[in-house]
Amino acid sequence: MAEFTAAVYQNEFLPDGGTDVNAIVTVTCNNAGVAGQTGGGDAGEIIIVDTSGSMGDETMAAAKQAAQAALAEIVDGTWFSVIGGSDRAYLAYPRVTSGPGMVQMTPQTRNEASGAINDFRSAGGTAIGTWLDLAGVLFNSVPQVRQKHALLLTDGENREAPGALDEAIRRATGVFQCDCRGAGTDWQVDEVRRIAQALLGTVDIIPKPSEMQAQFQEIMRKAMSRGVSDAQLRVWTPQGAQVLYVRQVSPTVEDLTDRRVAVNDLTGAYPTGAWSDESRDYHVAVRLAAKAVGQEQLAARVQIALGDDIAAQGLVKATWSNNAELTTRIDEQVAHYTGQTELATAIQEGLAAKAAGDEATATTKLGRAVQLAAATGNDEATSKLRKVVDVDNEKEGTVRLKRAVDKADEMALDTASTKTTRIKK
Amino acid sequence: MTETPPPTAGVPCPKCGAETAPDDAFCEACGTPLGATPAPTPGTAGTAPVPAPAADEKAPFDDLGSGPISAVTAGVGTPAAPSAGRRPCLNCGGEVGPDLYCQTCGTKAPSERDHFREQPASWVAGVCDRGITHARNEDAMALMADEQPGSRAVLVVLDGVSNSVDSDVASLAGARAALGVLRTPLPQGMGTPESRLAAVTKVMTDATTAAQEAIVATTAAESTNPASATYTAAVLEGDRVVYANVGDSRIYWLPDTGDGVQLSVDDSAAQMQIAAGVPRKEAETGPQAHAITKWLGRDSQDFSPRVGERTLTDPGWLLVCSDGLWNYASEPAQLAEQIAAAGTQDPAELALRLVEFANGRGGQDNITAAVARVGAPATGQNADGAAAVPEAAPSTTAPTTTPTTTAPGAGPSEGESDG
Repeated sequence: MAEFTAAVYQNEFLPDGGTDVNAIVTVTCNNAGVAGQTGGGDAGEIIIVDTSGSMGDETMAAAKQAAQAALAEIVDGTWFSVIGGSDRAYLAYPRVTSGPGMVQMTPQTRNEASGAINDFRSAGGTAIGTWLDLAGVLFNSVPQVRQKHALLLTDGENREAPGALDEAIRRATGVFQCDCRGAGTDWQVDEVRRIAQALLGTVDIIPKPSEMQAQFQEIMRKAMSRGVSDAQLRVWTPQGAQVLYVRQVSPTVEDLTDRRVAVNDLTGAYPTGAWSDESRDYHVAVRLAAKAVGQEQLAARVQIALGDDIAAQGLVKATWSNNAELTTRIDEQVAHYTGQTELATAIQEGLAAKAAGDEATATTKLGRAVQLAAATGNDEATSKLRKVVDVDNEKEGTVRLKRAVDKADEMALDTASTKTTRIKK
Repeated sequence: MTETPPPTAGVPCPKCGAETAPDDAFCEACGTPLGATPAPTPGTAGTAPVPAPAADEKAPFDDLGSGPISAVTAGVGTPAAPSAGRRPCLNCGGEVGPDLYCQTCGTKAPSERDHFREQPASWVAGVCDRGITHARNEDAMALMADEQPGSRAVLVVLDGVSNSVDSDVASLAGARAALGVLRTPLPQGMGTPESRLAAVTKVMTDATTAAQEAIVATTAAESTNPASATYTAAVLEGDRVVYANVGDSRIYWLPDTGDGVQLSVDDSAAQMQIAAGVPRKEAETGPQAHAITKWLGRDSQDFSPRVGERTLTDPGWLLVCSDGLWNYASEPAQLAEQIAAAGTQDPAELALRLVEFANGRGGQDNITAAVARVGAPATGQNADGAAAVPEAAPSTTAPTTTPTTTAPGAGPSEGESDG
């Protein structure tokens, strides 16, 4: 049985008249078990492979091999299917036209699915929205599947009518989770990141076909280790208080603020998807009505809920004080993740400005990113940034844009922008 | 007669070994919290179970432990506890969660030591509260009353000195010890007012001594900053109130109509200034306003109380309070104003309103307000003593006050400064 714990890091002391409370809540899950085997319903996996005409021979061969390697990681008994995607989605396996669109994994079905993958031929365009819609239909065709996860590979830009992809993302949101990977450099980070963020998954670039198999294996292994099919983060705030934001800040920055679903007047639920044995950090900011110096009150109850059961709870407090020594201190964790969140924004805005030809803004933003990455000890961001800019002064954040940048390095910086590091203890 | 402890003795106090009654939440002798689940009193066993107030909650901030310290109340008009015996939120009336914060407004529920209420009878009640800015509640209160309204009540309030160690433990032990002495009716003396007053003074002094001994008993031998407290007790028997005080906690008589009076006289620097002619307001807000010149505790030089008595001819409220309340309403008229504003005849409600008033003004100190209703409610007809009232009715201002000072070395009585 999975066990959750919650730990709160904050400075609870507010100055006279202070209203805003910030806290980092670390939620840790242990004994998660294996996907689909913890009594919370069955698990389902769908592998979606881009089969559009742009997939070159080498990429296609690598994609087939990677998809087959992913099949090998899916635990027997798990429901699965394989989708081939071009300007429309087709169900490559199981080959059915009605009834359940998924089958349970056995040595035999794994073999048959491998054969179906071998038959992939690249042709046609890219309509990712239709792929997501088919995956949703397939998941819903097997009612006992509770934990729904897809792995999506694309190599190109979406060619659907404007808005079609966003509509499809909206339909898929809350239905299944999706980890997304882009092969090569002809796909749009922004577009694929929108899918991954909405569907509580990850996004990354696979620059070389040779790296594809390892990535697919890792994604699927991780999916299989998520024995907790679905958990909600719940945030209770007192009457009259305002939730300024709720963000996941580790392992990646994901703003959950707008994904609130009201549980009751004072409590909102935010989706967190499936959990393995892992730890995630959330930044919760609440605005309260100021109380008199000396008063103490609860600013938020941050809970992790499995269905309607509260598995763990952390208390975020507020105490008004006129001791400046207490009230001016900023919690280390809060400061660290505030910096990391700004880092993600600076990288994304800097790269967007660069793409738009606004070199001045790009230089300022990426300079700030270099500064923040160094200050918060995010070595991965630092090394990725150094492939895009020449650093004059790390501390000051003065940089020059590199003249010749490998497109893959720039995309890797972009996809990794939301990855955060934990505070160094 | 006063209520007597049930014949069956409880377990001895784990700290000092003194005998305890089964329903005692605290040791009468040393103030140590007793078992968190008080045995039911014989009368109520097996019948409608009264939920023990927050009995097994671990009270954060409370080094006194977790037991309920409120005495069993008469239950008059007490609203049903919404959950598990936890009192509704003091701020908004919402339900308090298992994490001891309000489920609606998030206000922290105080521990039982930080906020407790007593209502020994329908006509007597008190609230003892931490206030807002102090970290803990060092005020203490102990009340008893016979069931018949206007018959007999004892109200004891101590205010632990906040810069001494463990004065929260000491003040409560002292209050309970004094109440123990005052449980039996006061002596009548040889028949003359003088002999009666002498006999009464002896009892009031004994009660003070009991409080003093209890405080000293709870003070760690090695303490370099021994616990100390003020002391105030009022014994109401019919239309007569006898009172005693050491320090600056006060007793007020606040009749429904006419002027109220402060019966007690502070042992404080402010009072000395007032005696020397400094205006009250100036003296009570000056830098030395809260320096007391007498107190109870191991380092006390003189803890003999100032004792006085008065006959109460009109209906009204007897109020015993700590400076946490009177800091915001020192003049009897100001307190009368707050009583009028509370607009209630229920003593429990009134005590709560007075504490809320002080908290609303900043709650800069611990607040205790204990009240006893004298005479019929203002809205009803005169009941007890109505026959004696007619000729005395026009003169509501203290015709029968007998200010006395019997403490050796306390100097001549300066009379009732507010009379």
